[in-house]
Amino acid sequence: MKSSIFSFIITILAWDLAAAEDKNEKENTNQTNNSSRYEAVVRIENSSLNPDYRSPWNTGRDSGGNGTGWLVGENKFLTNAHVVSNSRIIYIKKVGDAKPYRAKIVHIAHDCDLAMLELEDPSAFEGVPPFDIGKLPQLDTTVKVIGYPIGGERISITSGVVSRIDFLSYSHTSVDLHLTIQIDAAINPGNSGGPVIQNGKVVGVAFQGYSGNIAQNTGYMIPTPVIRRFLKDVEDDNYDHYVDLSMSDFPLINPAQRKALGLANDGIGIMVAAAEEDGSAGGILKTGDVLLAIDGRPVKSNGLINYEGEDVNMNEIVERKFAGDVIKLKIWRQNKSIDTKVTLKRFLPYLIAAKKYDEKPRYIMFSGLVFQPLDRNLMAAHVMKNLQVRYHFDSYVSADIYKDRPEVIVLTSILPDSINSYFSNFKHSIVDEVNGVKVKTLKDVHNALAKDKDDYIIISLLGNGRPIVIQRAKVEAAQKRIQEKYNVIKDHYLGD
Amino acid sequence: MTKFFILLSAFGISVSLWSEKLEAASVDKSVIRVNTTMQSYNLIQPWEKGASSTRIGLGAVLPGGKVLVTAQMVTDATYIELEKPDTAAKTTAQVITVDYEANLALLKPINDNDFLSDRLPFELDTNLSPKDKVEAWQFEASGTPVTTQITVSKAEVRQSFIDTARFLQIQANGPVQYRSGSFTLPIAKNNKLAGLLISYSSKDQISNILPASIIEHFLKDTADGKYTGFPNLGIMYSQTLDEQFRNYLKLDQENGGVFVSKVIEGASAAAASIKSGDVILSINGKGIDSRGNYNDPVWGKLSFSHLVRGKAFTGDSMKIKILREGQKKEIDLELIRRPAEDYLIDPYMFDRGPKFSIIGGLVFQELSVPFLKLFGNDWQSRAPIKMLMAHASPEMYEKKGRRKLVILTRTIPTPVTLGYERLSTLIVTKINSVPINDIQDVDKAASMPANGQHRIEFDSYPKLIFLDAVLAAQVNAALEQRIGITKRLK
Repeated sequence: MKSSIFSFIITILAWDLAAAEDKNEKENTNQTNNSSRYEAVVRIENSSLNPDYRSPWNTGRDSGGNGTGWLVGENKFLTNAHVVSNSRIIYIKKVGDAKPYRAKIVHIAHDCDLAMLELEDPSAFEGVPPFDIGKLPQLDTTVKVIGYPIGGERISITSGVVSRIDFLSYSHTSVDLHLTIQIDAAINPGNSGGPVIQNGKVVGVAFQGYSGNIAQNTGYMIPTPVIRRFLKDVEDDNYDHYVDLSMSDFPLINPAQRKALGLANDGIGIMVAAAEEDGSAGGILKTGDVLLAIDGRPVKSNGLINYEGEDVNMNEIVERKFAGDVIKLKIWRQNKSIDTKVTLKRFLPYLIAAKKYDEKPRYIMFSGLVFQPLDRNLMAAHVMKNLQVRYHFDSYVSADIYKDRPEVIVLTSILPDSINSYFSNFKHSIVDEVNGVKVKTLKDVHNALAKDKDDYIIISLLGNGRPIVIQRAKVEAAQKRIQEKYNVIKDHYLGD
Repeated sequence: MTKFFILLSAFGISVSLWSEKLEAASVDKSVIRVNTTMQSYNLIQPWEKGASSTRIGLGAVLPGGKVLVTAQMVTDATYIELEKPDTAAKTTAQVITVDYEANLALLKPINDNDFLSDRLPFELDTNLSPKDKVEAWQFEASGTPVTTQITVSKAEVRQSFIDTARFLQIQANGPVQYRSGSFTLPIAKNNKLAGLLISYSSKDQISNILPASIIEHFLKDTADGKYTGFPNLGIMYSQTLDEQFRNYLKLDQENGGVFVSKVIEGASAAAASIKSGDVILSINGKGIDSRGNYNDPVWGKLSFSHLVRGKAFTGDSMKIKILREGQKKEIDLELIRRPAEDYLIDPYMFDRGPKFSIIGGLVFQELSVPFLKLFGNDWQSRAPIKMLMAHASPEMYEKKGRRKLVILTRTIPTPVTLGYERLSTLIVTKINSVPINDIQDVDKAASMPANGQHRIEFDSYPKLIFLDAVLAAQVNAALEQRIGITKRLK
C-alpha cells in the first residue's frame, strides 16, 4: 500500500516530461471566462536538487516538477511539502498570465505534507481574494478538485464525492499518520497541493492517490483539521511539528484478556503494548496498562473515540495539540482506575524511518572509507543486505537502540585505493568503536579519527571480530590521493 | 599413526570375512540399488507430515552386510529397500548410522541378514591423487553394469549437504551419463571404493566426490557402535593478507596465520581458551598460510579445517601454535564436538518431528534453520530480522540461559484466540511467569495458569496476551480429536 502511493508521488515529480510529449494531443475548445474564479489557484514549478547519498560530497541531482497551490491569505500560498521539497528555485504561475513569479518557502511541514510559500513581489495577486477554509465534509457529498494535473497545461477541474474518512499514512515521509479523506474525483500527478472545494470553501488539499493499476478512483486529500493545525502552528512564525504519545496499543477483543486485566466486557479500553521511554507517555504508561479515556472521551477496544459525531482514531485528540500541551488520560492498572496527565512532545528517534528532505547528507570520507549515519534515505540509496544494518534500522526504536547509539554509523562504501585494498568485505558494516572509543554519532568518528597519537587506527565493526586496521603513517598521502582521484571536494560534512 | 592401527583392529572381523572370498569388488556384485521413500514433517503444521516422495540411488556394499549411501539418500526415510540389480531381489533395510554433516549413512537389512552374503564387499582406497582415473559405477534399468571413467582433478573443502558443514571433496572431470536410479554413485579405483559421487554438473562435466578418506573416518567412528561425529574447532576466522593488519598483529613474513574473529561457545577452541583476536599459525606442525590453507602433500593447498574435521577424531589432541598479542604460544587442544542439537537454533532437523506445543490454538515451536528456510530461497533477507539476528549471534540468547528460542509460529483461529489471529513469528519470553528456555518449559508453564488464565509474554508487540485456561484446555482436547496430537516435546 505504501509503495503504491509512493509510486504515485514519483509520477507527480516527473510529470513535466510526460506533459511535454502529449501537449498537442488535445485541444480545448471550451474556453470560458470562468477562469477568473480560479485566480487563487496557482501552478507551482519547482526546480529541485536531490541530494546524492551515494556520493554525498557532490551537490546532487537536478530535477524538477510541478504541482498546484492556492491563496490562503495575503501573499500566502498553500501547497504540499512534496511539491516544493529539496527546492532550489520556485516559480508560481497565475491563470491567464504567462509570466512566472519567483516564490520562496516560508514554512515547510514534511510531517503533514504542507508548505506555505510567498511571492517575492506579491503585486500580481493584489485584489485576488484568498480561499476560506471550510469544515470536515460529510460522506457522500460532492467536492471539486482544482489544479494543474498531467494531461495539459491549463487549469483542470474534476469532481467527485467524499468516499471515506480515515487515519492513514502520509507517503511523503511514510512514517506519519493523520486524518485523511478519500474522494473519487480524479486526482492526478500535478494536482498535488491543489484545493478541494465544497460550497466555495477549501475542504482539503489533494495530495496522494493510488496508481490506476492498484485501485481506481482513489484519491486522497488532507482535510481541514490538518490544514488548520498547520496554519495555527506557524502563527508564531515557526513550525513546531506534530507531537505524539509514542506508544503502541493492542485491541482488547479477547474476553480472557479483558478478564485478566480486570475489565468489564463493555467494549471500552485498549491495552498499552509499549510506551517509548523517551516519548511523551514514557514513564507514565506501562505494558499491560489499559487506556480507558483520552481527554474525557472513552476509548473503545479498537482504539476509536467519538469525536464530532464520528468514530475516529484516538490519536485524533493528540493530532490537534501542540508541543507542551497537556492531555488527560484515564488508565486502568491493577484493577484500579488512575487519572493521569501527559505533556506532549515530539519523539525524534522515529525519524530514522522517515523519508527526509531539505537536508544535506552528512558523511566522513577517511582513507577511502565513507561513513554515514543510518536513516531511510541512506537505506534507499544503498542496497544494504547486511543483517546488522537491517536490524539496527528496523529495531532502532523498538529495541531502544537510539538510547545507546543516537546515530548508527555505517561504512557505506569504499573508494578503492592501496590503503584499503583488503577492506571490501567490510562494506555496509556498522562501526562499533574507533580506537577503543564507542561510536554514538558521526562526530565521534570524526573526533576519534582525528586523534593523532596511535600508530594504528583500529575500527571495530558490529558482528565482525576482525577490525579494520589502518597505519596512521599512510593516511595523509592516501587521503590526498583519494580526494584527487575521486573528486571528493570535501572529506567530511558533519552538519551545521 | 596410532589411529591407523585402531582402524585395522576394529575392522578385523569384517576384513577377514571379506578376505576369505579373495575376490575383488565388481559393479554387479558390489553395488546395490537403494530405494527410499521419504516424508518430512510439515513445519507450519508440525503435527502432520507432508507428501511422501521416493528416491532411487546406489549404495556400496561394505563388509559385515552393510551398505553405504549418502545421508541425503535417507533423510526422513520412512521405508528403505535394498534391491539386487541382477536378480531384482529386494529386502527392507534400516539406517544404522547417519551423519548429515558428513553426508554419509550406513544401512543394513532389517531381517534378512544373509541378503548380502552373495555380494562382494568393497575395500576402501583412500589414496586418491590428482590425475587418477576412477570409475563411476551404475546400472542400466535392465541391470546391466555401466562404468564411466572420469579423471580426478583437484580437491577442495566445501559444503556437501548441510550449509555449515564443510568437508574434503574431490573433483573429477569427464562426462557421466546418469542412468535410471542414480542418486548417489559409487566411485571405484582399481575395484576399490574411492568415494561416492554426490553431485554432477552436466554443463561443466564436473563430478563432486565424497572421498574414501572421509568415508573411512565415518566408518572408524561407527566401529565401536557409538557414533560421535566429526569434531569441530568452533571458530570463525579471517585471512591475514592485508599487510597493515599483519604489521599490527606483529606477524612476520614467514608465518601465514588466520585471525580468529569469533569463538563459538561449547566447541573445541573455546574449551582450549583460544580467544577472538588470536592468530592461528599452525596445527600439529602444519603451517597455515594467510589465506587459511595448509600444504597437503597430495592435494596442495587445502583449507586448514580439513586438518580438524577430515583427519582428526573427537578426543584427539592437537598442538595449535598461536600468536596472542604479539607473543607466540603453543596450545594443547582436545577436540570435542558440540552436537548439532546443542545449538540454540537447530541447524538441521531430520528423521524427527519438530518439537511443538499448542495452547488453545497458539502454536509454539523451537526456532530452527529449516523453519527460517520456509521464508524462501532468500530467507536470509526475508525471515524476521530478530530471528536472523538470533541465528547469527546465538550467544545473545545463550548468555541469558536460553537453550532454544521458542517462538509463536502461528495462531490457529479458535474461540480462545479471538483477537489474536494475526499473531505469528513472535519470540516468547515467559508463559505464566515461567521463563521459556525451551519447548519443555512451555509444556511445564501450560499447567500453571493463574486465576484461570494463561499469561503469555513476547519480546515484541503486542508483548502480553492472555488466554482463558479452561477454554484453552477444551480447545486443546478438540484439537487433539482433529489433528491427533497437540504437543511433541522430544
